Amino acid sequence: MGSTRKNLLKYAIPPVFWLGVWQIAAWAVGQPLLLPGPLTVGGRLLALAGTADFWLSVGATLGRVFLGLLWGALLGGALAFLTHFFPWADAVASPAIRVVRATPVVSFILLVYLWTPRTAIPWVISGLMVLPVVWGALSSGLNSLDGKLLELARAYRFSRWKTLALIYLPSLRPHLSAGLLTAFGLAWKSGVAAEVLCPPDRAIGARIQQAKLGLETADLFAWTLAIVALSLLLEGLLRRALERGQKA
Amino acid sequence: MISLQNITLRYGEKVVLDGFSLDIPEEGLTALSGPSGCGKTTLLRVLGGLARPERGKVEGLGPARAAFLFQEDRLLPWRTVGQHITDVLPRSRRAELSRWLAFAELEGEEHAYPAALSGGMARRLALARCAALGGDALLLDEPFAGVDPQRAARMLERLRGLGVPVVLASHQGPVLAACDVVIRLDGPPLHRV
Repeated sequence: MGSTRKNLLKYAIPPVFWLGVWQIAAWAVGQPLLLPGPLTVGGRLLALAGTADFWLSVGATLGRVFLGLLWGALLGGALAFLTHFFPWADAVASPAIRVVRATPVVSFILLVYLWTPRTAIPWVISGLMVLPVVWGALSSGLNSLDGKLLELARAYRFSRWKTLALIYLPSLRPHLSAGLLTAFGLAWKSGVAAEVLCPPDRAIGARIQQAKLGLETADLFAWTLAIVALSLLLEGLLRRALERGQKA
Repeated sequence: MISLQNITLRYGEKVVLDGFSLDIPEEGLTALSGPSGCGKTTLLRVLGGLARPERGKVEGLGPARAAFLFQEDRLLPWRTVGQHITDVLPRSRRAELSRWLAFAELEGEEHAYPAALSGGMARRLALARCAALGGDALLLDEPFAGVDPQRAARMLERLRGLGVPVVLASHQGPVLAACDVVIRLDGPPLHRV
């Protein structure tokens, strides 16, 4: 089988198949308010993408999600080191982080709504979802660190910084990459969910909420499609950046 | 003279060193020879301050003043050959890189990663890194495992030229023959034969 044919089977046939299924289902339902077809949704997405508000909403949501990713990853990373090296920190922080991990995102959104301004909720929620994932990934990395390399660092009189730079960080990099990829997906979904429930003025979630209230199902589908496309695109970019960092 | 006095050390229930004493010359190449598992590595670790004995003391060599070559290469997969050397050199001695590459006969491999090295090359790099680190003595655990005899002989002469006492554990006949003093051991518990 030629490589062109293989690529066609792998990349072109599945989306065409599922778009076909979607169109047939839309015809079968026969009510665009319940299930608009892919052509209607595609048309709405193109129309929305032609407005400044679409890109400003996308930019604002991305900003909040990345802010959440940043603070969640930094705090999760710092806590992983703290709980690894200090038993008292492990005793105090680990159960709390596990509680955060087990708490449903909706409970957090409603609780955080009581404590913070509405505009801050999405990035606070995104960070809260990221923190336990990064903490867990780095904690397992720290636990599986090669003790022989750490002994080498001591025997060869490496300073703490040198040990961190030459042994800890390179050893932890695969764990951090895997954790960040998982965390990004969570941050993105939970951030948009928070925007839907507590909509700021400019946000993808706020537009979804508007579409739902106005029974604009095609818009609801179009925004959802935009979220999925952005998520796949950003995850791919993040994966490439992390892989490039690992090779460097 | 480097002197081990009445050293006792055990791993769990197993007594590896039981009141063991030994004098090691403070110059030249000294080999420790003996069957696997007799306690040579433990002895080197005590000399290097990496294992703390229950009783006894080491004189003539303070802790963390010797450079230790582990039985495994312990190379960092993410560092190049050149970086392995410069990582142990202070900034003022970075220009010595080519000297240590020549020491290990690894000229031209400066930018290679450990995954691209043969077993013998990796061992030579680990030995060069240890020698570049330097100290009051070099404590080498099987330094020439996987290194061909001709290269091992040349590197032994280079080690001798460093002018610090070298204590090495080895099984290899030609290596033992090239050393100034060979101490034959058996155990555990470790004892001279």
